[in-house]
Amino acid sequence: MPFSTITTPEAKPVGNYKMATRMEGGRLLYISGQVAWDASGNIVGKGDVRAQARQAFENLRGVLQAAGGDVESLMKITTYITKLEDFPAVAEARTATFKGELPASTLIVVKALFHPDFLIEVEGVAAV
Amino acid sequence: MDRREVLAERPVEKSRGFMPGVSVNPSRVLFTAGLTGRDAAGNLVAGGMAPQAHRTFERLQAILAHAGARFQDVAKQLVYVTDIDAYNAVGRSERASIFGSTRTASTGLVVRRLADPAMLIEVEMVVDLQGAPQGKPLLEKFNAENHPGDFYQGVIVNGGRLLYLAGQVANNPDGSVAGVGDWKRQAEKVYENIGHVLRAAGATPASAVKETTWVLDIESWRASGTPVRRAFYNGEYPASTLVEIPGLARAEFLVEIEVIAAVA
Repeated sequence: MPFSTITTPEAKPVGNYKMATRMEGGRLLYISGQVAWDASGNIVGKGDVRAQARQAFENLRGVLQAAGGDVESLMKITTYITKLEDFPAVAEARTATFKGELPASTLIVVKALFHPDFLIEVEGVAAV
Repeated sequence: MDRREVLAERPVEKSRGFMPGVSVNPSRVLFTAGLTGRDAAGNLVAGGMAPQAHRTFERLQAILAHAGARFQDVAKQLVYVTDIDAYNAVGRSERASIFGSTRTASTGLVVRRLADPAMLIEVEMVVDLQGAPQGKPLLEKFNAENHPGDFYQGVIVNGGRLLYLAGQVANNPDGSVAGVGDWKRQAEKVYENIGHVLRAAGATPASAVKETTWVLDIESWRASGTPVRRAFYNGEYPASTLVEIPGLARAEFLVEIEVIAAVA
């Protein structure tokens, strides 16, 4: 993996994510915020945050694979949701995507995403 | 240098003017602050979304030019708006009028408020720079314009290793929240945590390149958080963005700060 994980007993993650990652080599990959649409732009799981989260994380994986990496290549993700009560369903989809530990991670509740049908958006930066 | 576009042919992003992913060889990278529609005197331009968006991208162009870059070199943009309908109606075309048909990895968010309540758009960018890092300082922090803010408009990382911190919140090591309902205490705890993580990675506050501060209330943050932030950086500010949003991962959190830093 072209990055290392930073840990310190003085500031620990509350949850299954990394506190920080440091790039050690490879290429820096920026991934656009991924939402629950399919390749032709049709929304997947309208009104269903669980289905949307699964699709958004699958789309994230697709971009990583196209760049020669996979979800393990992610140094940092930022997950944007529109309602805090959607967080458990999103966390479940996220855990299913990552198997092991998550990358460094941020979760933000925004007012809205760029289309009212979207309930979750996830962006990432990776070392590939 | 050596910017590569990922899945550039996918119609879903193509039609919207962005790119699913962009990768770069991170030898020289520019991080901009979040830029807005302020004029040279620091006042927000009149007339709403179209003039604000135009001014925002015009200012970004000047920052890129200062670092020797063009819009074709942008790897990632993050667009914060408070009114998505206005952005779709008149903002996107302003971007295109300056940016041309250049596509970049992009995230667009609708937030509750930006630095000024009348501000409708703020945009930040990560840019791939040409040239070799050898012989240059690790960080080049600069302003393209005079401004009174506690941040730099651009920070160039020459070589070195980028460090991505998780968004830091007012968590104690045992998982409890410090300073429930207390802006000052949460600000102190967040910067304490950032300091610990930076140190563990061989960095210091001066190593910070870009900072995004997410708060539930900008006025409370300014009154109670800004003095803590100022003491933490002691003049060695990163490029930064301040955004008001309706919520964070736990109802108790008032602020979350993301930092990108670089070490040799």
